[in-house]
Amino acid sequence: MSFLRQGGRLRHCVLAAVLWWAWPAIAVAQQAPALRPGHFTLGAAVVRAGTYDIGDATAQLTGNAPGVSPPPFTLFQARSRLTAATLPEFTLGFAFTRRLALEAGASLSSPRVAVAISGDQEAPAQELPGEQLGQYQFEAALTWQVPMRIHRRIAPFAIVGGGYLRQLHEGRTVVETGEVYFAGAGARYWLRGASGRSLAFGIRGDARLNVRRRGIDFENLTRSYPSLSLGVFLGL
Amino acid sequence: MRRILAATAALCLTAGGSSSLAYLKLGAIVNGRVVDATWHQQPIGFFISTRDGSGATAAELRGAVERAAATWSSAEPASVRLQFQGMTNALAEGADGLNTIGFLARPDLDRVLALTSVMVDSATGAIYEADIVINTSFAFSVAPGGQPGRVDLESVALHELGHFLGLGHSAIGETEITGGGTRRVTGHGAVMFPIALSAGTIAERVLQADDIAGVSDLYPTGAVAFETGGIVGRITKNGQGVRGAHVIAFNPETGVLIGGFSQGAAGDFVIARLPPGAYILRAEPLDDADPSNYFPHPVDTDFRVTYAPRMVAAPKGGASPPIEIRVLPR
Repeated sequence: MSFLRQGGRLRHCVLAAVLWWAWPAIAVAQQAPALRPGHFTLGAAVVRAGTYDIGDATAQLTGNAPGVSPPPFTLFQARSRLTAATLPEFTLGFAFTRRLALEAGASLSSPRVAVAISGDQEAPAQELPGEQLGQYQFEAALTWQVPMRIHRRIAPFAIVGGGYLRQLHEGRTVVETGEVYFAGAGARYWLRGASGRSLAFGIRGDARLNVRRRGIDFENLTRSYPSLSLGVFLGL
Repeated sequence: MRRILAATAALCLTAGGSSSLAYLKLGAIVNGRVVDATWHQQPIGFFISTRDGSGATAAELRGAVERAAATWSSAEPASVRLQFQGMTNALAEGADGLNTIGFLARPDLDRVLALTSVMVDSATGAIYEADIVINTSFAFSVAPGGQPGRVDLESVALHELGHFLGLGHSAIGETEITGGGTRRVTGHGAVMFPIALSAGTIAERVLQADDIAGVSDLYPTGAVAFETGGIVGRITKNGQGVRGAHVIAFNPETGVLIGGFSQGAAGDFVIARLPPGAYILRAEPLDDADPSNYFPHPVDTDFRVTYAPRMVAAPKGGASPPIEIRVLPR
């Protein structure tokens, strides 16, 4: 009996492995997981936002040469960037249908404004430790679950949205504001409630391309940067 | 009884010849406190001496001075009104109750293009008379596009009128030592830099951000205090304050360069009237001109150019949290 039970376990394991590796094919016949229409979703995630340049600038003096506009004299050059940051994000969503949801989110981070100095005839090239910003972002997004049945617990989605960016310089004496627009894709993995008929709980991750307008930028240019998010959701 | 404090400031062709008692702003000690020396009444009238100079007549001097006066008067957000009151036979020196600008032979000042004398009421800090001497030892030009080998008279007038209004010298500039041992300007960021650009240039007819910040500090409009900000901090070396360090604030968004100095034994500095925004701070020794152009006392120039570890934001209507810039000996 003992041998048979062990053999039975082995067969189950083999079967499970085969099913796992073969799940894309079998899943076609399964019900795709869904949101719960008319209900709210809470989410919490950790976001890793990438670094991006915020402008090059040259400190110039009036050069000593004849004419109205003599060639300038370069005192030094400064290349600035916003460093990568890891930040918590909290979201509240509302599912209009089994696929479409509106989400509102807020996040807080502390990236640094790092400045690389070069071209100074009296000082070596160097990167300054930088200024620590307080950065808040409030955003709204639409998520649309792709009608693609790949697993009874997993559903990919596309996300698009935008938000308000608020950046406080160190000392919190100067505030700069801007907007962030983003688009990306991700997936939800339901640990329970994948049918869309009951309380749900799961893991969610996405990757986005963000486009930032205004905010701290010394050239007043539109900048883009990637971000990755991983967190949990609770479908009420 | 009114006591008199006289101060002079000069624009040099090359460093080494000026006798000045000036820094960013001229000051007077009133009741034990240093106050800015400013004109307390406007418009500020001036006369032009009838003496002709080398390469320019008194009438041409009047034209150059009036153009320079208009430049200062249009500097926003300052509130300055300079007014030509007539020609005079008086010389541009001595306490005669007239503010006189004129050519005068000063062969003793062989490197000084022009010299401004400012008389201040030490009871109030008010300037009550100022004269500008344009040294006829030099050949001047009033040509609109400048003239090779001749010093632009309007540029000299603009610099001296800055002293006339109460400004001292700016240190935003770089120089190099020439083969003759004198200094040559390689670039500057203020009309009030004490050493002039080479003869023939006219780039100094335009006020720069540092000049405008200075004159706005002396003659602010009502909104200036609310529309601009300041940066405060301290320069230290081995834990001790550095006296006489020059600090440049650079706004990478606008390109604005505005300077200030650490004063006092603690090495404290204040850079006022900055357009709000984030600034890179660069501390440097006063070694691009004779330090006596700025301070009547010795200053510490034994340290390396050092940047503040972070950018500092100047808030509108306020001042930044203090920042310390630690410099190292050379």
